[in-house]
Amino acid sequence: MNRRDHIADQLLQLAPVHWSQTPVRWLMGWWQVALFGAEMLVLALAGSTYRRKQRSVIYRQLYAATAPLLPGFVVMSALLSLVIIRIVLVTAQSYGLSQYALDVLVRTLVIELLPLLVALFVALRFAMPSGAEVASMRERGDLIELWRAGGDPARDELLPRVLAGVFAVVLLVLLSAAMALLMTYVMIYGFTSWGFAAYTRAVGQVFNPAATLILCMKTFLFSLIVAILPIAPNPQYGGATLRQRDEIGQLGRLFTLILLIEVLSLIGNYY
Amino acid sequence: MADSPDNTPPVPHLERTARLVLLAMLLLLSGAIAYLMFARGAFERTQQVVLIADDAEGLSVGMTVTFSGFPIGRIGRIALSPEGNARIIIDVPHTDAHWLRTSSVFTMESGFVGGPRIRAFTGVLTDPPLPDGAERKVLRGDAAAEIPRMIASVRELVNNLGALTSQDAPLNASLRNLQTMAEKLNGPRGAIGVLLGNEADARRLSLMLERSNALLARLDGLVLKADGLATRTDGMMARADSQVLGPDGMLARADAQVLGPQGLVTETRATVVQLNGLLAETRNSLKKVDAVLIEAQAIGANTRDATTDLGSLRSEVEASLRKVEHLINEINRKWPFARDAQIKLP
Repeated sequence: MNRRDHIADQLLQLAPVHWSQTPVRWLMGWWQVALFGAEMLVLALAGSTYRRKQRSVIYRQLYAATAPLLPGFVVMSALLSLVIIRIVLVTAQSYGLSQYALDVLVRTLVIELLPLLVALFVALRFAMPSGAEVASMRERGDLIELWRAGGDPARDELLPRVLAGVFAVVLLVLLSAAMALLMTYVMIYGFTSWGFAAYTRAVGQVFNPAATLILCMKTFLFSLIVAILPIAPNPQYGGATLRQRDEIGQLGRLFTLILLIEVLSLIGNYY
Repeated sequence: MADSPDNTPPVPHLERTARLVLLAMLLLLSGAIAYLMFARGAFERTQQVVLIADDAEGLSVGMTVTFSGFPIGRIGRIALSPEGNARIIIDVPHTDAHWLRTSSVFTMESGFVGGPRIRAFTGVLTDPPLPDGAERKVLRGDAAAEIPRMIASVRELVNNLGALTSQDAPLNASLRNLQTMAEKLNGPRGAIGVLLGNEADARRLSLMLERSNALLARLDGLVLKADGLATRTDGMMARADSQVLGPDGMLARADAQVLGPQGLVTETRATVVQLNGLLAETRNSLKKVDAVLIEAQAIGANTRDATTDLGSLRSEVEASLRKVEHLINEINRKWPFARDAQIKLP
C-alpha cells in the first residue's frame, strides 16, 4: 500500500500540471535556502552567539572542521602545487618565457585553483558529513527536543557548524596559498634569499587591488556556500528538511554554486 | 544535551587548541595582508618621476621600471595629459632613487611577446640626482610598430628606385646623354665635336686646321725658294764682280786699252765718256743688287712682304743683269779687241 502511494506520488510529480509549477517551487526552495543563510549570518553577527556558554560548542566545531583535515590537506595541496609549479616552470622555460612563469603560477594556482580545491575539500571532508549529521538529528527529532528543552537549535547546533565551515575554508585557503608561494619561490630560486625582493615585487604586481578584492570575496562566498548549503533546507522540495538520501543532489548543487562563483570571479578578473 | 553528542569523544584541551587554531588563522591572515601590502609597495617612501609618452598602450599600474635589469620603481598611475600625451607616474623608492640622475634617459620597449617594458639608463652617475616630480619624455622603441614603418620606408625606397630607373627618368636620360657623348668622343670629330656640338662647326674647324697646315707648308717652300734665290743672286753678283773688277777683268783690260801707251783716238773719247756713264749705271745697279740682297735676307723674317716684292725685284734684278749682259755685249761689240785681242797699229 505504502509502495503504491509512493509510485503514485512519483507519477504525480511527472504530470504536466506539476511541470508548470516546477520553476516556482524551485525558486521558493532557493528562497528558503537564502532565508536560512541570512538567518545564520545574522546569528553570526549577533553578540549573544559568542557568550561564554556558546564558546565551547563553537570551539569544538572549529576543531572538528580544521584539525582532522589539516594533515591530509597539507599533503594534498603540497603535491598538487608541486606538480603544477613544475609543469608551468618547465613549460615556460622550454618556450623561453620563464619571466612570465611566476605571474602565471600566482594567477592560476594561488588565485584560482587553490581556493576551489579548498572549498571542495572542506565540503567533502567536513560540511557534507556535518550536513548529514544535522539531517539525522532532524529525522530523529533531536532539534525539536532541544527547542522544547529551551535551547535554540539554530544557535546551538547549526551556527557553530556554519562558523566552523567558514573558518576552515578561509584558514585552508590562506595556508595553501602561503605554501604554494613558498614552494614557488624555492622552485625558482632554490633555498636562497637573494631573489626575495624580485619575487615579492612580481607577486605584488599580480595582487593588484581588484584581484585581491575578488579573491577575498570569492573565498568568503565559497566558505558561506560550503558551510551553509549542506545544512540548509532542501530547495528541491519547497524548503523541506534535508533527507539523507538526497546527499548526492546536495553535493551537486554545492558544486554548481561554487563553479558559478568561480566563473563570476574569472569574469571579474579577466573580462 | 545535544551539544555533546554521544558518538564523538571529548577533545583534550579543546578550548586551548581551538584558540591556537584561531590565532594561527589570525596570524596567517594578518601576515598575508602585510605581505601583500609590502609587495604592493605600501611601506616604501617613494618619490615620483613623471614620464611623458605618446602612447601608453600595454602599460598597467604596478608594472616595474628597470635599471640595468633590476626593478627600481613601479608605475603608480597612468593619466591622459591635456596635450593628449600619456603621463606615466612612476613611484621610485628613496633607496633606489640615486640611480636616476638629471641626465637619465627612459625608454619604453615593446617586444613581440609580453607588455612594454620601461627602462632607465643613466650614463653619468655623478650628475645631480633627479628631483621629485621631474618630468621626462620617454623614448619609444616598439619592435612590432617598427615593422609597418619599415615596410613603408622600403616601399618608398622601391618607388624611388622605380622612378629612378623608369624610361623617362632623369637618371636614365642623363645616362643616355652620357652614352651619346661617349659615342661622339669615340667618333671622327672627337672632343672637338663634343665641345662644339654642331657637326658643321666641327667640320669647319677641322677644315681650318687643314688649311692652316697647307698654308704653313707653302710658306715653308716659299722661304726655301727665297733662300735659293738669294744665294743665286749672291753667286751672280760675285761673278759679275769678278768679271768686271777682277785683275783680268773687263775694267782692267779696258783700263789698259784706254790708258795704254798706244792711246785712243778722239772718237774713242766719246766712247770713254759713254763708258763712264755706263759704269756709273752699273754701279747704281750694283747698289740696287745690294739692296736686293739685304731685302732678300729680310725675306726670312717677313715672307709676306717678300713675296709681294719678289716678283718685281726679280724682274728688276733680271733687268739689271740683262743690262749688265747687254753692257758686256756692248763693250765686247764696241771693243775691237774683243774679237781680236791684238790691236794692230797702223
